Amino acid sequence: MDKQEIIDKINQVFEKSFEIEKGKLQPQANIFEDLGLDSLDVVDLVVVLQQKFGIKIRDDQRIRNIRTLEDIYKFILILKDEGKNTVN
Amino acid sequence: MQLKRVVITGVGAVSPLGNDVPALINGIEQRKSAVRYMEDWNQYIGLRSLVAAPAEVKNEKLIPRQNRRSMGRMSIFAAQATQQALSDADIDREALSTGRIGCIIGSTTGSAQSLTETFEIMVPTKDLTQLNSTKFFQCISHTAAMNVSQYLGITGCVMATSAACASALQAIGAGYDLIRLGKQDAVLCGGAEEIHPTVTGSFDILFATSTNYNQSPHKTPRPFDIKRDGLVCGEGSGILVLEEYEMAVARKAKIYAEVIGYHTCGNGAHISQSSRTGMVSCISNALSNAHVEPKDVDYINAHATATVQGDKEEAQAIGEIFGDHVPVSSLKGYIGHTLGASGALELIASLAMMEKGCIYPTLNLEKAGPDCEGIYHVMKPLSKEIKIMVKNCFAFGGINAALVCKRSNVQKMHIG
Repeated sequence: MDKQEIIDKINQVFEKSFEIEKGKLQPQANIFEDLGLDSLDVVDLVVVLQQKFGIKIRDDQRIRNIRTLEDIYKFILILKDEGKNTVN
Repeated sequence: MQLKRVVITGVGAVSPLGNDVPALINGIEQRKSAVRYMEDWNQYIGLRSLVAAPAEVKNEKLIPRQNRRSMGRMSIFAAQATQQALSDADIDREALSTGRIGCIIGSTTGSAQSLTETFEIMVPTKDLTQLNSTKFFQCISHTAAMNVSQYLGITGCVMATSAACASALQAIGAGYDLIRLGKQDAVLCGGAEEIHPTVTGSFDILFATSTNYNQSPHKTPRPFDIKRDGLVCGEGSGILVLEEYEMAVARKAKIYAEVIGYHTCGNGAHISQSSRTGMVSCISNALSNAHVEPKDVDYINAHATATVQGDKEEAQAIGEIFGDHVPVSSLKGYIGHTLGASGALELIASLAMMEKGCIYPTLNLEKAGPDCEGIYHVMKPLSKEIKIMVKNCFAFGGINAALVCKRSNVQKMHIG
């Protein structure tokens, strides 16, 4: 899976699960302030990312640093590079 | 202490006959049955009753996502019915955050669909990590009351009655008591329920469901009928605005009826079998609470779900108190047994009867069972002025509830 495929997949999550318009899905968008997610949504984001990418990230402390969409793209890419998780 | 008077000033409904009150009333007036054959239910081994009265989830995206995400099917029904009731009562959103308006909505359980989804995710793998954050809020017993109050910003008393088929009437009774005591000025009261194979299954295991009409669903349920063979589950939500009388009059609200009596009690006898003795006690106490005699009652909206045993006990209880002089009908033939919502949905339809001076008959009652004779069954539309009516609800667990309403002569109303 290349970078663009990962970005597309993550954007699809925001469109489908969080009902956010495609136009708002800019890499620098803050997922809380710009996209309106809250703490419950973050729990759901983790669940759906785990399902989409076949990863286990619930206890990964790096999730706490995520602020923007780009942070999420990078996080998944790092996991892919680390090879600790199967990003598929 | 001088107790306050309580009136009904708003109604809202999502029912198997449609997604507002006029659809419910029009459907009943046209003698429509909302009971359907449930195509995918035959996959369940041992489920013999394959009929239900489904409602439709519509326009749910009008509820903002962050309110909707914690709502299962029944909470969506409840939220929409509540909005209708508030609009009907002409109560604006700001008033809901004064702490003087409460919200009491009952249901048998939380969302049956969400409960099933949760266990389907969790049980096979023993893995909790696939559960999302809001499943819990959809599953809990007070899901409808909690979701509606959050969505609408209600800061008064928020409570959920959970007494299966008596849930809605207990909610209305609790709201009535709160207003009478001066603790709330108004309370949004009612119930919500959703159909699911597990819900029908819980009755089917006990041989309480209708099983002979899977190929002719409109012929069941058959309350009080000689060929009745059990209940049919339905779903939806009914919400009523109960309001302190002086406040309603001062703001020139339309008044559907005054609630003048209520009682709820247990049978203390058997977990699933209905008890005529308990029913008689409940209805009698409600009448006493209302300071009316049985002869003063013009109409009884029966619980009558079409179970063999329950209908017999209720008919005998009604006969013991009222004899054969007071017209009786059940609305389960139209919308099935909407369980935790039934008390509210059927009360709303009864208020329409009160307004129109016409008693809607028991659909599918063609010939009363010999064990249900001795009371005044309404088998075709009956023109009659209704000044005082009684609504019955009797639940598994031996829980009884009865409400007495009086027609208001203060302001004119219009339902449906």
